[in-house]
Amino acid sequence: MASSSAVRKAVNLPPTVRALPSGIPSAPRLNLATRAPSDGHHGHGPTLRSDTPSRFTGGLKTTPAGPVYKTVVSPPAANLYQQRHIHTSAVAKDAPEVPDYSAYRPQSDSNNRALSYFMVGSLGVLSASAAKSTLTGFLETMAASADVLAMAKTEVELASIPEGKNVVIKWRGKPVFIRHRTPEEIEEARSVNWKSLRDPQPDEARVKKPEWLVMLGVCTHLGCVPIGEAGDYGGWFCPCHGSHYDISGRARKGPAPLNLEIPPYELNEGDNKLVIG
Amino acid sequence: MAFADAFYNTIVKRNSVFVPAIFAGAFAFNMGFDIAISQFWDHWNRGRQWKDIRGRYIQDADES
Repeated sequence: MASSSAVRKAVNLPPTVRALPSGIPSAPRLNLATRAPSDGHHGHGPTLRSDTPSRFTGGLKTTPAGPVYKTVVSPPAANLYQQRHIHTSAVAKDAPEVPDYSAYRPQSDSNNRALSYFMVGSLGVLSASAAKSTLTGFLETMAASADVLAMAKTEVELASIPEGKNVVIKWRGKPVFIRHRTPEEIEEARSVNWKSLRDPQPDEARVKKPEWLVMLGVCTHLGCVPIGEAGDYGGWFCPCHGSHYDISGRARKGPAPLNLEIPPYELNEGDNKLVIG
Repeated sequence: MAFADAFYNTIVKRNSVFVPAIFAGAFAFNMGFDIAISQFWDHWNRGRQWKDIRGRYIQDADES
């Protein structure tokens, strides 16, 4: 049928010229059901295609001039035919959908979306709240317990301190100076240009009520206890290294670098009591 | 519908708003939950706590 000297480098399939009524290209001789030859790497060898032409019909041969494909007969490409259904678009419904899901579908997409995100947010709120409670629970175990805090407080009856007098009490092992200041002393403490001091601090920041000055009686230099109503500024004087504090407890002279420290305290107006700590 | 869209557009749409809103909500929920539980506790144990019966003993101490 074919000439024996035909050397074919490539095979051209004719283009499809006709389409089936379903839109599928008509390729009646093309067998799409056959399996491609496997390369035998899964433990099973290459399988022969069922539509492989027999050896006598021709085949590829290597000659000194190069590979030559010799065709003796032209067998039909395939002896199997199968209609291929290719989906290209949405399925046309020609019958009502069974079962009917419309009762379960959301009536409103925006309501559905808002509800979904609301549930997500609610879970976030609950988790964050639980995490915060857990964390604060752990941190509270590090805080001092109520009995320790109660023991660490000191109460002072303010009515027993006359104006212009100092009282030294012990609070957590340290002396605390309480001074009932006279109006002149308050005036003196507030008239000082505090911005020029070594540790600039206004008198208003050091007292809760101007007549009551409460501060830790430990010299900020090396920790001696200053002497009250002494020194060049009418306040406190540290005998160890000669630091002078004024009537507001601020370092004015000598080696002290800082003002006398103010402990945390509460002035109880009703009971006229001072609670330090 | 309008409320759902408003909720989505104002809070959920941006994560930079959604996450702080969740934290703020957690803070508010925590406080509200604490208050509600404390009130329920006080209501359940009313008349038995020191703050309920303090008036009797403090008055007695003042009189004597």
